[in-house]
Amino acid sequence: MSYKIPIGPYHPALEEPYKLDLICEDEIILDAKLHIGFNFRGIEHLAETRNYVQVIALMERVCGICSNIHTLTLCQSMEKLLEVTPPPRALYIRVIMAELERLHSHVLWAGVAGKLMGFKTMFMTCFALREKVMDILQAISGNRVNYAMNRIGGVNRDIADPAAILTMLNNLEREITRKVIPVFTTSSTALSRCAGIGVLTKEKAISCGTVGPTARASGLPEDIRRAAPYAAYEELDFNVPVETGGDVRARLLVRALEILESCKILRQALAKLPPGELCAEIEDIVFPTDTAISRVEAPRGEVIYSVSWEEDSDNPSRVHVRTPTYANMPSVRWMVLGARLSDAPLIQASIDPCYSCTDR
Amino acid sequence: MNAIMNNLEDLPEQLGVTDPWVEKGGVLWLVSDTLNVRVLATTMNARHARFVTITAFELPDGEGIRLEYHWDLDGQLLGFTFLVSDTPIESIFDLCEAADWIEREIHEYYAIDFQGRDYEPLFLQAGDKLGVNLREEDE
Repeated sequence: MSYKIPIGPYHPALEEPYKLDLICEDEIILDAKLHIGFNFRGIEHLAETRNYVQVIALMERVCGICSNIHTLTLCQSMEKLLEVTPPPRALYIRVIMAELERLHSHVLWAGVAGKLMGFKTMFMTCFALREKVMDILQAISGNRVNYAMNRIGGVNRDIADPAAILTMLNNLEREITRKVIPVFTTSSTALSRCAGIGVLTKEKAISCGTVGPTARASGLPEDIRRAAPYAAYEELDFNVPVETGGDVRARLLVRALEILESCKILRQALAKLPPGELCAEIEDIVFPTDTAISRVEAPRGEVIYSVSWEEDSDNPSRVHVRTPTYANMPSVRWMVLGARLSDAPLIQASIDPCYSCTDR
Repeated sequence: MNAIMNNLEDLPEQLGVTDPWVEKGGVLWLVSDTLNVRVLATTMNARHARFVTITAFELPDGEGIRLEYHWDLDGQLLGFTFLVSDTPIESIFDLCEAADWIEREIHEYYAIDFQGRDYEPLFLQAGDKLGVNLREEDE
């Protein structure tokens, strides 16, 4: 006899509110249905009532983890509309902020995964490491969540202490290599919770339109930083980790390896950081009647912004945001099919979901 | 860009249109009045393109809603536009499961019915008034 187990919208297994209805027979999941919208704020419609300064502050609040990515993608769209190119130093600072954001997001996720596996010590280790990244972000921007770094034509603040970032990177890389990766890849408890669990095949990953580490863990080598480089990524050397297992272990491994790649990118960006201005000189900001689209590789995958403006208007006529969790979340239904009920919390968490982004 | 264009050269013909690709801001656009959305979705599937999103845009003076469909083919973002005014638009959900949520979202935001599918609430609750993004500031 089958029965329905509702998880959420408010549940200890979920980091944010959403609802997963699991249809089970004994311990096995036969089907799943997802319900979102518990964080719906109508931000896209609200954006149409904000001018080009206010809209940056508004869109930064779409997400509490990848706030910087949202302003970066929005500013890139507005720069396309205005045909403005930020100076080289600003482009490198954008890379530095984006990779620091990826670091703290991925390390946070590793901690959450540790907690869901029953590794409380790993949770504490990862959150202690993440704290150091947050300290750097605070030192740069004065804030730990909404950094207000991006503006049309460049950035608002400089990198005052590159040496502090390098020290943090050395420590983080050492801890990830010596502690986090070995525990997640060799401990029998981690393997039993991750290996072969929550598989998303490559074919299903394509048909669901998955992006980011979730897609890369199913063998799709997609990364906007490589496919359509923005900021200064074209001038930096990095690998795009790809795994073919499609299971929780593969998603974990891809993110762990991406932490190391982010460290590599950050070292290069700091070494190559060119001198010069932080923002392009713009005499008068007058938007034409047009639409511009920009894509960025956020920690969870591709973010796309489509921004439209009417000439002589203070406010955008449309701001559309497609976030990575929005693309990845429907694939959870396929990941949990045939899985044990007890694995469902870890499987749904393995896409590193963000419902603030998804619901907007 | 040249390698991508070679890969896309025969696509308009396959879609039954004669209009050329237009590059704008890193996006390759194919704008044609004769484009069929279901033929488009089938063709994109055959090419293993990744569905990205649909952006709906309310045109001024009640001229209708413009829908911009996006796929990613080998890292190149493609755009296809459709005008929804008196002419309805068909759903591609049965051909492209990735389009499910965005069709439901546009249904709730702009009160558009994608023909040939059922709707369950996505962001709104059952019975809520459709057309969230069509509301005026004082409504």
